[in-house]
Amino acid sequence: MPVRLVDLDAAVPALRSLIGEGRAACGASVRAWRDAVLLVDADGGDEAFANLAARMPVAAHTVLNPEATAIATAAALLEQFRHAVATRVQIGSAAVRAELRPYQIAGVAWLRALPRVGGGGVLADEMGVGKTLQAVCLLATRPSAGPHLVVCPTSLVGNWRRELARFTPDVPVLDYHGSSRALPSAVPAGTVVVTSYSILRTDADALAATEWDVVVLDEAQQIKNPDALATRAAARLPATIRLAMTGTPIENRLEELWSILNVTNPGLLGNRARFRQRFAAPIEQRRSATAAARLNGLVAPHLLRRTKADVVADLPPKQYSTIACTLTGEQARLYRREVDEAFKTGLGSGIERRGRVLALLTSLKQICNHPAQFLGDDDDLGLAGRSGKFDRATEMLNEIVDDDDRALVFTQYRAMGDLLSRRLTEVLGGAPIPFLHGGLSAERRDRLVHAFQHDDAAPILLLSLRAAGFGLNLTRASHVLHYDRWWNPAVEDQATDRAHRIGQQRTLNVYTLVTGGTVEDHIARLHNSKRALAGVVSGDTEAALADLSDDDLRNVLQLDDERLT
Amino acid sequence: MAEFGATPWGRAWLKTIETSNVAVPNSLLPKARSIARNDGVTSLTIQAGRIHATVALRGITHAVQIQLPPWDSQTSRRVAWLTSNARAGHPALAPGDLPDALEADLRREGIGIAVPAEEQTVECTCPARRTHCVHALATLYTLAQRIDERPAIAVDLRGDASEHATPPDPGWMSLSAIDANDFYGTSGGRVVDDEVSDLLG
Repeated sequence: MPVRLVDLDAAVPALRSLIGEGRAACGASVRAWRDAVLLVDADGGDEAFANLAARMPVAAHTVLNPEATAIATAAALLEQFRHAVATRVQIGSAAVRAELRPYQIAGVAWLRALPRVGGGGVLADEMGVGKTLQAVCLLATRPSAGPHLVVCPTSLVGNWRRELARFTPDVPVLDYHGSSRALPSAVPAGTVVVTSYSILRTDADALAATEWDVVVLDEAQQIKNPDALATRAAARLPATIRLAMTGTPIENRLEELWSILNVTNPGLLGNRARFRQRFAAPIEQRRSATAAARLNGLVAPHLLRRTKADVVADLPPKQYSTIACTLTGEQARLYRREVDEAFKTGLGSGIERRGRVLALLTSLKQICNHPAQFLGDDDDLGLAGRSGKFDRATEMLNEIVDDDDRALVFTQYRAMGDLLSRRLTEVLGGAPIPFLHGGLSAERRDRLVHAFQHDDAAPILLLSLRAAGFGLNLTRASHVLHYDRWWNPAVEDQATDRAHRIGQQRTLNVYTLVTGGTVEDHIARLHNSKRALAGVVSGDTEAALADLSDDDLRNVLQLDDERLT
Repeated sequence: MAEFGATPWGRAWLKTIETSNVAVPNSLLPKARSIARNDGVTSLTIQAGRIHATVALRGITHAVQIQLPPWDSQTSRRVAWLTSNARAGHPALAPGDLPDALEADLRREGIGIAVPAEEQTVECTCPARRTHCVHALATLYTLAQRIDERPAIAVDLRGDASEHATPPDPGWMSLSAIDANDFYGTSGGRVVDDEVSDLLG
């Protein structure tokens, strides 16, 4: 039988208008759902819905379970329907500035229902499905229940603040981060406090002193080790709703899932030793299907995971995201020093000025990328922990590879590509991550492209933007990361199209990494707002910047402390 | 982590076949363990007082049935009381689990969780003459693992079947429960409308 799925926004008014002859022509199932709409409109109580459920024809609720052994009960479907409709209304009145896709509405409804199943849950949607937006909607639709807390890795603090400002500009946000951080004695209801796991570790007592409404633990792999300080501090936070978010709830061992759920749903899986006896050992050591099914049964009501394949019909062919990154202390020091010295020395005029502005821009972009690229000191110090962008990119790529996906990473700098290749090879622990750049012979480049398209060895290909500009077909990638900005949208689009070809079935996720408060951020905003600075929008950014007065130029280049995080 | 008998609950059952007070160890045990380890027990149905299994060995499948005497009513009441006490003392207990302290309490009161081998009534379709053939032993090894995974089975196994039926998931109804005659609800459509108009005034 042909089936058509209709969006709730279209279905509800259509059912509502079903009167007179139109109604008589419909079957009992459709009429029952029309009654459901009328009941929602009339704010019907539980009893009215129970009565409706009792007389709904079976055909109206024949939704098969995945095993095709049972169908949903009328009561369960009506309950979901009530929550989906109510969630739409809530999101509308919370003035969320985003067009949510149907599965995202379903996700928000699920999040909002958490208090009825104990208050804890894990949102484990695959990367690219939109976890952050769903969590933002949860926070925005609970404005009066109490203050909210978001804990995330340091590299994501800026991103969270920006996403909140973008989607829900009316929600007050309080940064609890950096050396001058302070928490008011009473955080007002509805305010979102954003902090990092490192602050959670050091300020565990201060944060546990507030009765939170919602606590969001983003990138919950950070609490996968039950002995870690951050995990124990997270477990102590008093909250009505505890939500962990991660695209990879289990990276290596089942015990990681125990650790996360022990924070969000204490007691659900028993204590750690018992979990090992009942689930981890049977499943990991002897692949016990009964233990796996039982664990799944326990966890399923508290964990929501949709893969991109699940929601593919809802996704556009290309999905663009800007990923805000945070400067480390080392990066901020280097950045300030370069700007101060350049202006102290003076930039000159004419062709000399162009050269100096270009050199300064290059230095600043290198510092945003990684201090080791700028200083050339990568042999002395490790690479991790020195660049917010570098760490964020590593985390994202790790997650993409965990999901068995493939990614292209573009950079304009040969040195940066080498650093990324080294670090990613180390972190991913498989075959060396190749870097396709202009210094390779044409034959070698062909081999790399062929290997990416046909072999399974390395799931990531690094490319220099210049070398990758033409003739490459890399459609196996479903993620594209622009590690640094070319500041010429046309060139970036061309690179993106290496991975996207007409007719491709999957959604291509395109990420642009931007370091908050830096020249990257300024230029990105100029691009987005399409404001003047002639030339920036059309492409020749460097020349346009050289034409600015010293004061204007300094405004564009110097660190914006407000946006630094 | 012990492969069989990781919890005291599973261990109690393990002891019924791996007793240490016999001079000659049962030579079938390694084979039975290996069958259990390699998923040779292809189905295992556990009900109060009865275990059904199908065991495949080298392509030949045999059906095993083990009957167990239930606790008498006085013991059952005592177990129920101790169990609810133990649950109250462990509010964070995960579903399907029982506190190990309860096992210790039962042992102290002389209430056996597992049924000793000689009190089990074993039937197997294989021609072996021993009461506990290799198929029955493999079944009991697998039972010990299932009990490790869900200790509550140990108590359900000895109690009254009607008391411990697992509640079905309320959000789903089995296909077999559907009445095909009234699938489209052709009867009573008008009543639905009337009721809603009443409801909405």
